[in-house]
Amino acid sequence: MKHTLRQVFHSGKFVAGFCILVALLLLIAIYPLFVKGDPLAIIGQGTFFPPGTYVNTYDSIYAPNTYTLNLKDAAANRIAQRLPEKDREEMKTWLVAYGIPEEQIDVNDIKALLDIWFENYDPNESLGMIYAKQRYYQRLNDSIRNLLSIEGVILAEKNPETGELQEVGIVNQTDYVNINEVANVRVLPLGTDNFGRDVLTELVRATAVSLEIGLVAGVIATLIGLTLGLLAGYIGGWVDDFIMFITNLFTVIPSFVLLILISFSIGQEKRGAVTIAIVIGLTSWVWTTRAVRSQVMSLRNRDHVNLSKLSGHSIFYIITHDIFPYIASYVVMALILQISSAILAEASLSILGLGPRTTDVPTLGLMMNWAMIYQAHIMGRWWAYLPVIIMIALITFSMNLMNTGLDQVFNPTLRE
Amino acid sequence: MKRRITILSILLVLAVVLSACGGTATTEVPAETTAAPTEPTEKTEEPTEAPTETEEVPSGEVVLPRKETMYFNGQQWGSVVCWNPYSSSCNNAMTIAQQDNARVLMFETPYLYNMLDGQVYPLLADGDFAWDEGRTQITFKIKPAAHWSDGTPVTAEDVAYTWATHVKYDTATGASNKAYIADIVAEDAQTVVIKAVLGENGQALNPLLVQSYLSSNYVIQKAWTQKLEARVGEDSAALLTDPADDVVWSGPYTKFYTDDTKVILIRDENYWGQDASMWGKLPIPKYLGHMIYKDNAAGTTAFKAGEVDVSQQFIANVQDLWLKEGLPVSTYLPEAPYHIGASLPTAFFNLGSYGLDQLAVRKAIAIAVDYDTIIANAMTNQSATFDQVPRSLMNPTPGEQALYDHDAVKDLQFAGKDIEGAKKLLDDAGIVDTDGDGWREFEGQNLHYVATAPNGWSDWQAAIEVVAAAGKEIGIDITTNYPEWAVYQTIVTNWPLPEKDFDIFMMWSDGAGPTQPWSRIRHLMSSEFAETTNNWNGNWGGYKNADADALIQAIPSMTDEAALKEAYTELVRIYLTDIPSFTLMYRPQSFHTVNESVWTNFPHEGDGTVPPVPPLDLMDGWSVAGLYNVTLVNP
Repeated sequence: MKHTLRQVFHSGKFVAGFCILVALLLLIAIYPLFVKGDPLAIIGQGTFFPPGTYVNTYDSIYAPNTYTLNLKDAAANRIAQRLPEKDREEMKTWLVAYGIPEEQIDVNDIKALLDIWFENYDPNESLGMIYAKQRYYQRLNDSIRNLLSIEGVILAEKNPETGELQEVGIVNQTDYVNINEVANVRVLPLGTDNFGRDVLTELVRATAVSLEIGLVAGVIATLIGLTLGLLAGYIGGWVDDFIMFITNLFTVIPSFVLLILISFSIGQEKRGAVTIAIVIGLTSWVWTTRAVRSQVMSLRNRDHVNLSKLSGHSIFYIITHDIFPYIASYVVMALILQISSAILAEASLSILGLGPRTTDVPTLGLMMNWAMIYQAHIMGRWWAYLPVIIMIALITFSMNLMNTGLDQVFNPTLRE
Repeated sequence: MKRRITILSILLVLAVVLSACGGTATTEVPAETTAAPTEPTEKTEEPTEAPTETEEVPSGEVVLPRKETMYFNGQQWGSVVCWNPYSSSCNNAMTIAQQDNARVLMFETPYLYNMLDGQVYPLLADGDFAWDEGRTQITFKIKPAAHWSDGTPVTAEDVAYTWATHVKYDTATGASNKAYIADIVAEDAQTVVIKAVLGENGQALNPLLVQSYLSSNYVIQKAWTQKLEARVGEDSAALLTDPADDVVWSGPYTKFYTDDTKVILIRDENYWGQDASMWGKLPIPKYLGHMIYKDNAAGTTAFKAGEVDVSQQFIANVQDLWLKEGLPVSTYLPEAPYHIGASLPTAFFNLGSYGLDQLAVRKAIAIAVDYDTIIANAMTNQSATFDQVPRSLMNPTPGEQALYDHDAVKDLQFAGKDIEGAKKLLDDAGIVDTDGDGWREFEGQNLHYVATAPNGWSDWQAAIEVVAAAGKEIGIDITTNYPEWAVYQTIVTNWPLPEKDFDIFMMWSDGAGPTQPWSRIRHLMSSEFAETTNNWNGNWGGYKNADADALIQAIPSMTDEAALKEAYTELVRIYLTDIPSFTLMYRPQSFHTVNESVWTNFPHEGDGTVPPVPPLDLMDGWSVAGLYNVTLVNP
């Protein structure tokens, strides 16, 4: 056993796959310790907030210390963000269309540009432009008001008695807060999804659920496949015929179609993660059966099996002691493949809206389903679906890598 | 060698993994390409007529010049079945839709309803209609200029015969109106008289519905109808399923080409409306096209690419199209909610479900729901919030909002997300968790509900998820379920609802129309629809309230505005007190998002049109006027 393990861990591929899987497992185990809270909690009012650090504006104003930093390029950065060059060019286009001579307009002299803009711009003047363009200029006009102001913003509070506004402070353009001193800062490394949920938290939980589904489904499929394969292969005769009849039936019907039909007929209310796992397990044992059976058939007439038979051992004893150990390595590999394909099956089911109930747990497939419904893929919200795809790829990739590694160790024809 | 094989197999596995799980990203690509008309191939095959300078889009046999064609999406799903205006199962979304804002591209109504000012404007009719003194009948004239596509004039006799046919063959129109309209007769060639069914007071039983017939039902040619009757041997079923390829129309467009990928209408150059007594000219686009897209995503992709000019689809975060992507796209309003809200998508309580007959349970759920999140997330802010437009039975248009007394029902309003209030309500009603499993019980049984919406109706589904989340907060177990629409509609419209799975379910309410808000209120609350089968009207939860019924019955014949306002206020009070259902958001009559790559001058707020052209895709009711205003961006 020790020797086998050492051999296995000498395989680079196995180790690589194993490391990826362990890393994922660690992520699943450790992440919830740091970020607590319901992965399905709706925290964002609005859809698809981009990844980043979210600093509470209100708390920033009331942060204990305000620091003054006189940074040289602060004003330039501010202007560049609120009025990038593209917008300045567009302003020029409007002004020229309005009849201002082109040579009077210098897009690099922002002050002059703004002066000439505010002097001439009339939001009701269409200049024959399409609405989208007119509205663009109206928005631009609103957004650049006070662009060059060097004064701060006055904070005012409502007097509870009179209802009048009273000045309580001023935020200067050179005021800074230290982010560590702001009471509420939330990092959303992968933004939020269409429900306003934290994608990373959801992703970690979903990965755990998907692995769980994969494991349950894989174990079920492998157990069924192994049992039937062993029986059919060793006993032979009408038992073999019967089992192969059933197996062939299942081979002919595409298992994914079967899966769709079964999950549809179960109804969403009863479709928990485990139910889905069982359904997947029950529909994907066929190839394991066939493979185990053929292996067993070649083992059946080996000398040590015959010896065991002569010694009067029971069928059960022979199968468990003389046959199973020889195919164990194959079974482990089959299990790994079953797990990874079950994860894919769950994802495919959920994309069709036939996955587990949506209110219970997130799964990788469900996350993609909702991202697709809310058109994240055509609106460029990569954070809602790309990490999910990568996660699924990583899981299945690591398992397949481990499988290839094992194959190299156990398969005599591949042994180097 | 072995190494190479393993590398190959890893690559293969990766490819399989990516193609299997990358479904979201990749499946849309083919949709995109199918959505886009396959220009290069067809163009080379069929270089029939080739206007030299314009971009060309092939359509079946001919090539449509892009600058003479306006493209739509979101109306037609699946291929057209028939062109029969008597039938309600033609799946012909571009030409047949007899509704409050009737679609008048091919067939026409006497009047056009304008949801923006609540008025009707004559189309086939000449001048305003008039009630007689006793309010027993309506008289109106037909425009002398109006004629059919075969050149014969539209007469009062056509109007009368259309009605007679609806009644004789018991069409949907006939069935829903004959309780209110006694008869329609032609006094002379131009004059139509609609005789109302009279109530006990000797006046029209329901003047609102009689009036609305004029703007929601087509006039169909008598001669053609007789031909159709002869063809089907006066058999009702055959009449309703006749494909009517030979139909005679009066509208500005007619069928040009259809198959299972597209519907193309072509302008009728002899359209009577170019007469000075109506529009004075022909509508601008020569062709109206509608590709049949696989799904919303395909339609949106085509819209973004400028292949669709007017989109009637829900586009999540529509503002990103112009803010982030800089596309020449605009909606009716420049800022959120971007559209004019007209209907109230509503979650109905199944009052037959265990515990939902308890007001405390219904109210607790309704006040615990986070509506701001529904509006921000499910509708991506394309709805007014309940802060802006408080909850009532009225849609957010100023006309309807003025019909009830806001202050009188102020204390009944709930803003949502009131978890503590909901818990207290349940505690006070004695509905508490006694067995410690986290869920409250009513008379010993856990409160467990399934909230449901049709699969694929994304905004409803997302809203229902938020409702379910609220249940968890207050100790009521609400899970979600999304059956397919075909299943959903059969279940919801047929009482009794199943014991499970349909405890809280989404359905619509009426939008804007000449009978609103009365008709919407009737459909939401009137017990005449409670516990009925084949119910496409409303009140699917089975709510009954005699006071509400009495008011609903009285309103149509009320003429005193103060009394009317009082009645509406009382109905709102009953609705907010009993909470038989609760509105989750406001929704526009039609989504109306336009891409100004080719066409411009679409209806938008403050566009200066008098009367204002409503944003209804240039095809419903008065919005058809927009087709006469559009211009090319680059003529």
